[in-house]
Amino acid sequence: MQDFESLLKSSAAAHGHLCPGQVVGVRMAMLGCRLIGLDDPSSHEQIKKLIVYVEMDRCTADAVSHVTGVKLGRRSLKFVDYGIMAATFLNLETNRAYRVVSTEEARDLAAMFAPEIAGKHAQQLRAYQRMPDSVLFRVQEVDVNLAELDLPGPTRRKVACVRCGQVVRDGREVIRSGRVLCKPCSGECYYREAREVSWPDMNRTPACKSKIAGVKTTNHDTKILSENRRRDGLLNEYHKEISPCLKP
Amino acid sequence: MLKTIKLEDAVGTKLTHDITEIRPGEFKGAAFRRGHTVCDDDLCRLQRLGKNHLYLIDLAEDEIHENDAAAILAASLAGDGITWENNPREGKISLVAARDGLLRVDAAVLAAFNMVAEVMCATLHSHTLVKKGAQVAATRAIPLVMKRAPVERAAAMAASNGGVVSVLPLQKVRAGLVITGNEVYHGLIEDRFAPVLTAKITDLGSDVAGIAFAPDDVEHISRAICNHIADGCNLLLLSGGMSVDPDDVTRKGIRVAGADEIHYGAAVLPGAMFLVAYIGDIPLLGVPACGLHHRVTVLDLVLPRVLAGERIGKKELAFLGHGGLCKDCPECSYPNCPFGKGTM
Repeated sequence: MQDFESLLKSSAAAHGHLCPGQVVGVRMAMLGCRLIGLDDPSSHEQIKKLIVYVEMDRCTADAVSHVTGVKLGRRSLKFVDYGIMAATFLNLETNRAYRVVSTEEARDLAAMFAPEIAGKHAQQLRAYQRMPDSVLFRVQEVDVNLAELDLPGPTRRKVACVRCGQVVRDGREVIRSGRVLCKPCSGECYYREAREVSWPDMNRTPACKSKIAGVKTTNHDTKILSENRRRDGLLNEYHKEISPCLKP
Repeated sequence: MLKTIKLEDAVGTKLTHDITEIRPGEFKGAAFRRGHTVCDDDLCRLQRLGKNHLYLIDLAEDEIHENDAAAILAASLAGDGITWENNPREGKISLVAARDGLLRVDAAVLAAFNMVAEVMCATLHSHTLVKKGAQVAATRAIPLVMKRAPVERAAAMAASNGGVVSVLPLQKVRAGLVITGNEVYHGLIEDRFAPVLTAKITDLGSDVAGIAFAPDDVEHISRAICNHIADGCNLLLLSGGMSVDPDDVTRKGIRVAGADEIHYGAAVLPGAMFLVAYIGDIPLLGVPACGLHHRVTVLDLVLPRVLAGERIGKKELAFLGHGGLCKDCPECSYPNCPFGKGTM
């Protein structure tokens, strides 16, 4: 694992800004990995051993993900929406897990640890780098029961919703009165009143937008490309026409 | 885990903690010590102390008794120059100066320590001069029985920077004085600065190796400084010429003598025009005229810290501001007053 300063710099760049949450996240990840015995979590040898549960969708979560290399798409990053500044680090090989919680008192102590710095943000930024881990975090050893369907690796189960036909992966279906439903059809859904629509430029094909190195462009591709360009032109004209009308 | 038993059923059991007796204005202390076996004769006294029930303790693996917790906390809080005895009284352990010197308290870590639930530590102010044997801090766990994890976390914090309290010995230095001012140099008035500064140096266990007098002349002042350093002085005190008049050239003399770091101005009254400079590792303290008029000034706050080996810079002089206003009492009670006690 790289040193703290390097990780903080690259984490801030990846996240988009340097903030106290980045400092906390980088340190949280370094501590969590140390506790479960991984010294280079994003390396080829260790990347498949690690699962991280982040309990907040804040700056800290990005830093934890950056330092550990865990990713949503790899199923090594689990988001549990608790609104708590905490993350649990699970070593799949040893099955040991530690939950690292950012302490609330660290906020109150920032002025003590960086008294020469004015401004809450700048003060926290420096103080969180100076505090020992024991001040910045509480740690709990926890048991995590990771279901087989939550493990990284290939899809373990696919079923189709009896109402809409949508295929649902990895056991996320809902059984109602013995019938298999996808979550939207079961009513457990973040959106409502879905209405199927058509949209401009429905036949766009990104592969033909530009020539891919080493791939010969066929007449068919060229035809699609020119069609895409023609539609882009039409859309631009359309936007030019309606933009003045939209201005207040 | 704690189990409560009636007092009359407690005969033959051992007390699980010290039991405190308070006689207002007369006595406060342990009437019975932990481990004392309760006998019939004790019952009346225990009742008079308000005890109709006692605890029996059955510690779980992750629990700790207050006395054992206090010992863990004391060991982690104690830095250099601190001693303590593992003999808790009423659950409390005192931390004591193991030598004469300057008390240093890591106030940030102390605050973090005290934010952990169920433990506490109280100290004297940082930068207090203490004598060997003086109590400088005390610690305890609040409940009789508590979880081990927070005690260990608090202990880790306390030990994170080599302990929260320490007593730094004052170095014995050879001080050189430079008394500036045409009025003194040419004998128009008698110097009163040298005796004042000499007393402050010797009170702290160091010696004055030489006193030089210089007019308000840059070259002369600079030469006096260099001569003291050549004679082996490792601390210089300069008086006069620190103000804003055209004749006040001491600062320039210090710069010409080769000071590579100069901090002019301290957030203290009296003593705003105080100066700290360094030529290499040798500190130079420029004492403004207030040092003649006031018994206690910024010099009394900074000199012990310099002798304790602390390098004083802009930050240290600025942080003196909180608590740096002398109340100028008709009868001065320093150091038993708030002056200079607000810094970390």
